Formats: sequence, C-alpha cells, structure tokens
Amino acid sequence: MAVLEKNQMISLAEDTVKAAVGKGAQEAEAYVYEGQATNVGIELGQISKSHRIIDRGLGVRVAANRAIGFAYTNILDDTAAVESVVIRALSAAKASKPDPDWKGLPQKKPYGIVEKTYDSKVVELDSEDLVNIASTMLNAAGQVDKRVFPIEGGIGSAYISNAVANSNGIASFDKGTVIECSLAAIARDGSKVTPVCFEFNAARNYNIDPAGVGEEAAKLAVSALKTKPIETKTTTLILTQFALQDLLAYTLINAVKADSVQRDQSPFKGKIGETVASESLTISDDGLFRGGMRTWVFDGEGVPHQNTPIIEEGVLRNFLYDNYAAKKEGKESTGNASRAGYLSTPGIETTNFHLMSGDKSSEDMLSEVEDGLLIYYLQGAHSSNPVSGEFSVVATPAWKIEKGEVTHCSRGVMLAGNIFEVLKNVSAVASNERQVGSLIAPWVEVESVRVIGK
Amino acid sequence: MKDLLTKINNIATQKFAAQYAEARAQKLYKTMITLKEGRVEAAKQGIENGVALRVLVNGAWGFASVGSLNSEILTSAVADACKMAKTASAKLKTPIKLAQVKAVTDKVELKPRKNPSEISMEDKIKTASEINRTALGFDRRIKSCTIDYLDLTGTSFFVNSDGTRIEQDKLYVWSRITSSARSEGIFTYSREEIGSTAGYEIFDQQTPEALGEKVAKRAIQQLNAKSPKGGKFPVVLGPNVVGVFVHEAFGHLAEADLALSGGVLASNFGKKIGSELVTFYDDGTIEGSFGSFKYDDEGVPSHKTLLIKDGVVAGLMHNRETAQKFKAEPTGNARAEDFRVEPIIRMRCTYMSPRDRSFEELIEEVKAGYFFKSFRGGQANLDGTFQVGIQEGYEIVNGEVGEPVRNASISGNTLETLHKVDAVGKDFQLDPGRCGKGQTAFICDGGPHIKVSEVVVGGSA
Repeated sequence: MAVLEKNQMISLAEDTVKAAVGKGAQEAEAYVYEGQATNVGIELGQISKSHRIIDRGLGVRVAANRAIGFAYTNILDDTAAVESVVIRALSAAKASKPDPDWKGLPQKKPYGIVEKTYDSKVVELDSEDLVNIASTMLNAAGQVDKRVFPIEGGIGSAYISNAVANSNGIASFDKGTVIECSLAAIARDGSKVTPVCFEFNAARNYNIDPAGVGEEAAKLAVSALKTKPIETKTTTLILTQFALQDLLAYTLINAVKADSVQRDQSPFKGKIGETVASESLTISDDGLFRGGMRTWVFDGEGVPHQNTPIIEEGVLRNFLYDNYAAKKEGKESTGNASRAGYLSTPGIETTNFHLMSGDKSSEDMLSEVEDGLLIYYLQGAHSSNPVSGEFSVVATPAWKIEKGEVTHCSRGVMLAGNIFEVLKNVSAVASNERQVGSLIAPWVEVESVRVIGK
Repeated sequence: MKDLLTKINNIATQKFAAQYAEARAQKLYKTMITLKEGRVEAAKQGIENGVALRVLVNGAWGFASVGSLNSEILTSAVADACKMAKTASAKLKTPIKLAQVKAVTDKVELKPRKNPSEISMEDKIKTASEINRTALGFDRRIKSCTIDYLDLTGTSFFVNSDGTRIEQDKLYVWSRITSSARSEGIFTYSREEIGSTAGYEIFDQQTPEALGEKVAKRAIQQLNAKSPKGGKFPVVLGPNVVGVFVHEAFGHLAEADLALSGGVLASNFGKKIGSELVTFYDDGTIEGSFGSFKYDDEGVPSHKTLLIKDGVVAGLMHNRETAQKFKAEPTGNARAEDFRVEPIIRMRCTYMSPRDRSFEELIEEVKAGYFFKSFRGGQANLDGTFQVGIQEGYEIVNGEVGEPVRNASISGNTLETLHKVDAVGKDFQLDPGRCGKGQTAFICDGGPHIKVSEVVVGGSA
C-alpha cells in the first residue's frame, strides 16, 4: 500500500479539526499516524519469517466546556468513519467532567531543524535485502564459538509519518525512518546454559553493523559461561547503557516529568537549583539530537521539539512538560507530549534523554576498578518503586572485575538501593556514548552499591 | 466476512503454493478512561478493525497486517505475505511444519450479565470517581490516585486453509488503580488491578469503595515500613505472589518456544524438578477469568494444560509449530494481541494447586523470615533466574507476622526454589494481570499460600 503523502495527511487532520469545530467543539486537535514496517525474523538459529505491517489511523481530541473527549479509528478510506470519530470524541467529552485546569490547546510556534531522521535507502530496502543483512548477523555470531545459539533476533526497517492539526492553526507534518537489527543469544556447554545476552543496532539512517551485532551478542554469551558465586557486600559498579536505561526508565525519568512533580509523586519537587546528583552528571532531554531515535520536528501536540537541560553538573535545572502541565504553571511546553500512535491522548515522555559523556575511555574506566562488577542487563527494574526510586533487581548476569580485568561472571546477583543515592554516588562517566531506547549515554561508574550474592 | 477471508486464503494456496494460510480479522471497540485525582484526563473511545494474514511457503512464515477489511487491499497483502515467506525461506535449514488439528466450525457468542458496551460513559466515569473518592479520602497522606479503565468488545473471525472457520465474541473489562502516599520525605506507592472476561459485573463483586480502600491502605501502611535485610531467608508467599512466581519463574520456561530456545525445561521432561507439593496448571477454560477464551488465534480449542504434577514436569504450552516439534498436542496457547501481530505462545490462567495446610501453620513454622503478600512486578530469564518485586510484605518473627517491610524483592533459581517449597496451603485465589512478551496478553495467575524454606531477599538494609 502506498504511503499517504504530506498533503493528504495534513488535509485529513485539518478537515477533521474543521468538522469537530463545526459540530460544536470549542477546540479540536487531530493526529494522523502512519507506520509501514518490514521485518525479517530469526528464530532458533535460523531465518524463518518475514512480516509487513501497515498501520494508520486518526485520533481526535476535543474540548467542550473544558471537558476533554478523545476518539480514534483506523478506518480512513471512508468519510463516514471519519465523521463518526468526531461524533464519538464529542460524545466522550459530553460524558466527561469539566477540568478547571484546562487552558487550551497549544499555539503555533516556529520549529527547529532536525538532521538525519529520514533516509530513502531505508525505505527502499526489500525483504530480500533484509534476509541478507540478517544472514550476515547470524553468520558472524556463529563464527565466534560453536557453543553459541542465537535464539531470537531480526532486522526491521520502518517508515513513520505523522501530522498534527489543531484549532489554533497548527498544521504540521513530519516523516522519518528507522532501521534496527538485533540478536539475542545464549551459550550452552553441557548442561550449563547462560542467561540471554543481547546486542542491537538502531539508527534513523542506513548505518548499522549487523556483523558487529552478531559478534558482540555471541561474545557476551560465551563470556557468561564461566561463573562463580560472589559474596554479599557494598561495591563499585560499572553500568552499561542497557542497565542504565532500565534503571532510569522506571525511576529518574518519572521524577523529572512535570506531571509527577505537580501530583506530589517526585522527590525532586521544589528542588530546582539544588544539587541532586554527582557533579559529573549532566543530562538534557534533546528532542533535536542529530539522528536520535526520538528526534522529530514536533511532539504529539505539534509543539516544537527542543533541547531542555535537566541536570547540569549535578544541579537540577528543569522538568519536562506537555502543554497541559505547562499551562497549569503558566509555563511553556518543552515539547515532551508523546503519543502511542493514533491510539492515545498525549502524555509526558522523554525524547532523547542525553547523559553527557566524559573524557575517559571505557577501557580506562574498567582498568581502574580494583574490585567491582560490570552490569549489562538487569531483571526486575520495572518493579522499582517509581515514586521513591528504591530498586531491588537482579543482574543477569554480573561480570566480576578484579584488578581492572573482567574475570568471570556471577548469576543471581541482586542489587538494591535508591536511584537518587546512586546518582549522587556516580564517580565517573566514560566516553563511549551510544543510544539505547530513549537514553543516549556512556558507561557510568557508581560507588557503594549494596550487592547481595548467593 | 468469513467468505472474504476464505477467498484470501485460497489465493495464497492456489496462486502462491502456500502450504498453509490463515486469515484473522477483528472488529473491536474500546473505551478508555484515565482519572487522576478525580480529574477525567480524557474519556476515550476507539475503533480498531483489521486483518492479519499468515502463510507458510516453502517452510517459512510470511505475515502481513493491514488496518482494512477491503477485499482489494487484502488481495494485495496476501500476495505480499507469500512473496516475503518465499524470500525468507532462502536460507532455511529446518522447514517449519504444523501439528495436525481437527478443523472446527463454531460461533462463540458471549452473554454477559452486564455488557460494558451497554453501560454509558457517564456510568463508567462515576465508577472510577467512586474508587478515587475512597482512595483520596482514606488518609490525608494519600497524595495521588490514578485510575485507568479499559473495556474492549467486538468480534474476531478466524479462517484457515485446513477448513477451520470461527467467529468469536471478545469481551474484556480491566482497571488499574495506583496511589501514592507521602509523609516526612518518605514516598510509597500501591497498585491494584482487576480484570474479567465475564462483564461489567466485576464491579459488583469488587466494589469501587473496596478497591479504593485496598489501594490506599497499602500505601499508608508502607509509610511506616522498614527496609528488609538482604540475604537468604525462609518466606511465606501469598497467592498473589505465588501467582506471579508460577507465571514468571516457571510459566515462561514452560512456553514451548522458550523451552526450545535453550530454556532449562526442555531437557527435564518427565523428570522431578521440584518438591512433591508442586502441581501447576495453565488453564484457558475457567469461566470469566481474565486469561480465558474458547479458541486461540490459530483456531485451536483452549485446554486445561498440566505443567507439573507432584514435582514432575508433565507438559508444555504449545502452538501448532512447537507441538509438531515435540510430537505433542497443541494446547491452545497461541495468542495475538491484535491484528498487527502474529500469534505467539502465551499463558492463560496459570496457577499452583492447593494442598492441605492453613495460613497460620505456615507462618508458625518460620522463626525469622518474611511474609510477602502482594507483588509489584516480576521477571525471569531463560537460565531460570527469577526476580519478583514486592509491594506489600511483612517480617515474620518467632512464628508471627510482624512489622511491614518496603521495596523488597525475592530472587533465585526457579528449579532450586521449586525444591524448597515445603508447605502448601489449602486456600486459593486468582488475580488478573497483563504479561509482556513483545505483545501484551491479558492473563490470570494465582494459587494458595505457600512456604519456601529459603530464597534470596533483596533489601538495602
């Protein structure tokens, strides 16, 4: 199915807004989304499937007497369906209750410039190309060691576009591409099975290294074969981007959302300007980061993406806002309204959460640790206390560092503590920046974390 | 609709030489409400119609998903799926085959006592508002209350090239209530979920007032809780924690696709891997349970599947592909969240069978340990390492339940832990939940209270 063009998407959004206002909405906003994705899948050591998914739809938000209604549909080829979505949004608003804090939809503002978010080469890849890339990745993993078994993975390319229009005159369109390859592998030796080790590459333009991904996943799995128990103690950790992303996603990121702060769910409430972390930490939310996985021209409400300082050398600077939370405080949105495609109303989310790198290479960081653990993957981070930041998680596995060398790994090691203490105990940040999910960060070294061994 | 799907499957088998073709269509309606401190963030209604086409060509899968019920669009999508399957088969070593199942023709109609699609949005908002009022009114230290409500109704259609033709009503009602409390710099957080495939009558069984109070009470109680000591301890687990343990620590390992991926169960079939007190089922047939359905998304009837009997591995959860590999019967565990994704092996209602002990007996036997009543989240790895975070727990001191503890978690190796189950209660409770495995599935889990002689407790004290 051919993709919807810019003018088709914008006019669908604008027409919907007009229809809603015509039927009695005081304010209206329409969000049109389209995603077309092709994927080739690896399962149990072989390439065995290919997918193509086309998903498009329209979400309409209306305000009537300060009560908000929302409706969506994925049937766009029929004007009656579009009209009925407007009617349902209005009926939902009518059933809803007025919100005294509702101060209107956002106004039109000039947009910034984004780079490296769309690559026609990604769109042109067909399933045959993807099979070849998957095959390269699989072969690279197989060559590392016979004991490696790639259990799952694949390669996918996607085209995504969206348009937002509202009754304040916003009418915007943006499109982008994503390519991603990943491999999850275990290593088996006799009856010994390692935890799942995972590596991936994701990019907005055609810039991935499938052989490197296959090799790295396989190497990690092999290195997890040699295990020894460790004792319970307080020690130094090096957190890789995977572990960091997992830990921050359920704790720190909640604490910097204005919605959490306003609702008394953030320990950062009232702490702007105060030191909340080690001075080696500087974090910004950069919605315009070049080639970032979450880089777009505007957010889910058509508000410009921007670069918002969150923590500067340990000092808390800003929270993240969508239009509603911002207006509540008489502020401007930071462009952090996020949507689950056409299916949801906007909510506050990070764009590219950028933890700035330091000067030290990851090799130097590792070599200076006398006694500690290198943590790639965590289990149970989603069971952290999202309000207090307390966590109690398992490293799957933890790699032991002795005198600057990774010596073996240890299973079932639990880490417990509070993320806000962890942030204060960061002793160094490395220079090996990469993006994992919304997080762009290097390895981070933390002192004094409680580790419970077996 | 079923005739259109049959026509599309015929294109795959006749024109593109597919060995197998299936078409799954949905016409679904959703209502969603989010309330924050009584404020209706938005009242939402949605329509999701679409078709998933899956074909097997030269032993490889091709899959196409389109948000359309249009014949022309489906005709081109099925051609696409067949071509992609053929491309994917280029490097195939072991062609995929499916276990044979009897073709079924059926129409499953639900007759809920209270159909959520017939309840007005105003009434649903009223129910949520009552939960909120009770929670916020419980104690002034309750700072926030978020209520998410979802209902989903509609019809799904399934037709495959083996002659199966099914039309099945869908109905889910679900709500999650979370609340936070704050006092003197201490933050606590509490969550409760309800879910049913029976109907909106769930709110008669679990009233808004009772739900609000339950959530708020826990958040307040946690304010005075202390951090647990980390280390190895005997524990008593409540049905809610047992359920998540059965689901996360064992259930995922018993999903045949994960067993094939090097999970520890594949090599233990028929072997004793736990205490004789351990019997687990995954059951898709419990009426009204959040994990129940009559046919799965491969058109296979949902079974009651025995996983472990008296400590011995008795079965796995299968789709047609893994059943063929294991020479087993498909169990009706192939589920797809919606038309956008392919069916994969998922749990339904997974539980531990009760035995004969009373709760008091279990507690009495522990000198120094913990009673973990309610979980916050859980996760497991293929190597059998599990972690369950606890939102409500207590110390056990000299055979009595003592002070509350906060933010604990338990971890261990599944098989080692199953051997350490040394007492199983006679009570039984199931709780609804949602499971993520790339897709979200509505599930249920539970069991009785149990005692485990030793598990690693993660705590910062």
